[in-house]
Amino acid sequence: MARVLENVGKELLKKSKISVSDFRTAETAEDARQFADDIGYPVVIKALVAVGKRGKAGAVRFAQNGAEAEKNACEILNMTVCNFPVEFLLVEKKLDIAQELYISITYDSSEKMPIIIASREGGVDIEDLANTQPNRIIKTPVHTIEGFHQFQAKEIASALDLKGKDLQKATSVIWRLYKVFDQYDATILEINPLVITASGEMVAAAILMAVDDDGLYRQPTLSPKVEPGSDRAWRPLTELEKKMVAVDTAEPYRGTARYTEMEGGNIGFLCGGGGGSLLVYDALLRYGGKPANYAEFGGNPTQTKVSRLVKGVLSKPGVAGFIVDTNITNNTQTDVVAKGIVQAFQEMNINPETFPTIVRLAGINDTQARKIFRDAGVPYYMDDITMEAAARLIVEQMDKTYRQKD
Amino acid sequence: MAILVDKDSRIAIQGITGREASMVTKHALAYGTKILAGVTPGKEGQNVEGVPVYDTLKSACKNHAVNTAVVYVPPAFACDAVLEAIGNGIKLVLIITERIPRRDAAKFLCAAKQANATIIGPNSVGVLNPGDRIKLGAIGGDNVERCFVPGSVGVISRSGGMTAECSWMAKQAGYGVSTSVSSGGDPLIGSPPKDILSLFENDPKTKAVILWGEPGTRYEEDVADFIMQGGYTKPLIAYIAGRFVENMPEGTVFGHAASIIEGAGGRPSIKMQRLKAAGAHVAENFNDIGDMLKSVLAEAV
Repeated sequence: MARVLENVGKELLKKSKISVSDFRTAETAEDARQFADDIGYPVVIKALVAVGKRGKAGAVRFAQNGAEAEKNACEILNMTVCNFPVEFLLVEKKLDIAQELYISITYDSSEKMPIIIASREGGVDIEDLANTQPNRIIKTPVHTIEGFHQFQAKEIASALDLKGKDLQKATSVIWRLYKVFDQYDATILEINPLVITASGEMVAAAILMAVDDDGLYRQPTLSPKVEPGSDRAWRPLTELEKKMVAVDTAEPYRGTARYTEMEGGNIGFLCGGGGGSLLVYDALLRYGGKPANYAEFGGNPTQTKVSRLVKGVLSKPGVAGFIVDTNITNNTQTDVVAKGIVQAFQEMNINPETFPTIVRLAGINDTQARKIFRDAGVPYYMDDITMEAAARLIVEQMDKTYRQKD
Repeated sequence: MAILVDKDSRIAIQGITGREASMVTKHALAYGTKILAGVTPGKEGQNVEGVPVYDTLKSACKNHAVNTAVVYVPPAFACDAVLEAIGNGIKLVLIITERIPRRDAAKFLCAAKQANATIIGPNSVGVLNPGDRIKLGAIGGDNVERCFVPGSVGVISRSGGMTAECSWMAKQAGYGVSTSVSSGGDPLIGSPPKDILSLFENDPKTKAVILWGEPGTRYEEDVADFIMQGGYTKPLIAYIAGRFVENMPEGTVFGHAASIIEGAGGRPSIKMQRLKAAGAHVAENFNDIGDMLKSVLAEAV
C-alpha cells in the first residue's frame, strides 16, 4: 500500500468531475500567504502529509487574512504530524458549510468485496462513530463482476436521507468516486467531509487515499507520485529503507525482501516469511532482547538479494548481533540464503565467532546450507531447536558477550 | 478422510513451465501426487517432468478431466488464469501467486462465489493431505515427511511458512495432520480461516485444529463468532502472532499485507480474548502448542 498525498488525490477527483475546493500547494509561509491572497479569504491551511487525523494534530487551520495565513503556515511547517515532518502545505478556499457527509470505499476482508461506507455525520472520526452509533453508518458491498451502477449510488444517497438536488449530486459523487477507486487501484479512498455548501454545491473538502503497491505497474500516472511500501513505516522511509525497497524491486520476480528500521535495539533481525517474523519478534521481546530492525524474505530470493538485505540489516548503527530465524521452508532454497548470508559477512568483515550470531534455517537443501554455515563458522541450527528457542539463544549470547566486556 | 484434496483430486498446474512451478511439479510427483496436466500458453506439446503442457485449460480438462487447479501465473496474468479455471468448471483453485493486485482478487473472488468454486489463496503455499499423499502447491517442499505425517489434526495458517511449522509442532508432539491448509497472507483471500474450520468440523478424521493467526482483518474474530454460533465444536488451539504490533504506530504493516491494525480492528489481544471467550485454547507461547494438543486430544479420547 502506498499513501497518496491529498493534492495528488484531489487532482484525480477533479479529473473525474468531482468538485474539490480550490487548492494550491506551498513550500513556504510566504508562498502560502501569496496563494491565500489569490484564492481569497477565509482560507484553510493544511499540512500536506500522507496521514489522516491531521485535524486532531492541529495541522488544519483557518485564516481570515494574510497575516493570519502566514503565521499559521509558519507554525504548521514547523510541526511533525504522526512522525511525518511537514514539508508542504495545502492552501484551500474555506467552504461555507451547510452540511457535512462521509463517504469512503475500501476492501472488506470478511466480505471479500469492495465496500462503500457512507454517513450523514461527516467531519468526525468514522471509527468513533462506528463504535458509538453504528446505525448512523451505511455499508454497501460492491459486486465486482456486475459492477457498480448509478442506481446503487442513488440508493446510498437516498439512505443518507438526501433529497432533490442534494440527492442527485451525491449520487454522481458516489458513482464517480467508485470509478476513481477502481480505475486507480486504490485500497482506500475517503472523502471526509463531503461538504454541502450554503449555496448548495457538493464539494470534497478533505480526502484520504492509498493505492495498492501491487497495482502500481499499471498506474503510470500515479506510480511516480507515490512511495511503494510506505505502509511499512510509521514515518517517512529512512535512507536505508529506501535502499532496501530498491534491492527488492531490482529483482521483482525473485522472492521478496522487506526491511523496516526499529527504534534503537542491538540485534540485527532477519526472518523468513511474514508469519515467522512476527513470531520471532514477539519472542525476542519476551526474552528481553532488543531487535534493531525487522527484515524478512520470502519465496526464493537470489544470493545477491539476500546478501544485500543482510548488509542492510547489519549496517544499522548499534547492531551488535544477528539472528536469522525461519520456519522449516516449503519452497525457499536454504543453501542460496546461506550463501547470501555468508557473502554479506565476508564483505563486511564480520567474524561470526566473535559477533553474536544465531541461525535457525531448515528446509529445502539444508544439508548444503549446513555445510556452508559450518565452513564459515556460523552457529547453525536446523529443526533441532524451535524458532522460539533460537530467539532465546541470541538473547543469551548477547548478554554473555556484552556483559563480559562491561 | 481429509478436506479439500483427496484421491479423487485431478490436478492441473497453470503456469507449469515457470521456474518455481516446475520445481514444485517435480516435488509433488516424487511425493506420489499425480499431476495430470499443465498449462502455459504457446507451449502446448512440451512436458514438465513428464506432465503434458497445454495452451488452454480447456484442452487439459478435456483430456484429463481436471477438477483442481493450481495457479502459478505471474501477478499481471493471474486474474485471467483464475477466471479461466472458474470458467472451465473447476471447483477448487489454489492460488500460489503473490502480489496480485487487490482489485483483481476482488474480481475473481466474486466470480468464484457466483460459480460456487472454492478458492484457496492468493499468496498461499498450498494444501497438503498426507494420508492420501496429495500435495497441492509448494507446501512440504522436497521433504514432506519432515513436517507432515498422517494424523488427526487439522492445520489452518495465514502464513505459508508457519503452516509447515504448525504441522511440525503436531508431529513433535506425536501426532500427524489430516490436512494442512495455508489460507494465504493477503487481505483478500478466497477461504478465510472460518471457512476452512467449517470443513474440518465436517471431517470425521479431524479431532482438533491448530490455527495460526496474525494481526489485521477480522478473520480470528469471525472464527470466534463461528464457534459461538455452534459452527465448530471440536477443540481449537490458536496462536496469534505479532503482539508487538499493537505497541507500534497504527496502520503500520509488519509481515503479510493483511497484517495491519486500524483502530480497534485487528488487535492480537482482542483476537485472543474473543477466541478464549468462545472456548478456544489460546497458546501464550508457540512452543506450548504441542503440550496443549496432547492435553486436548487426551480429553477427546
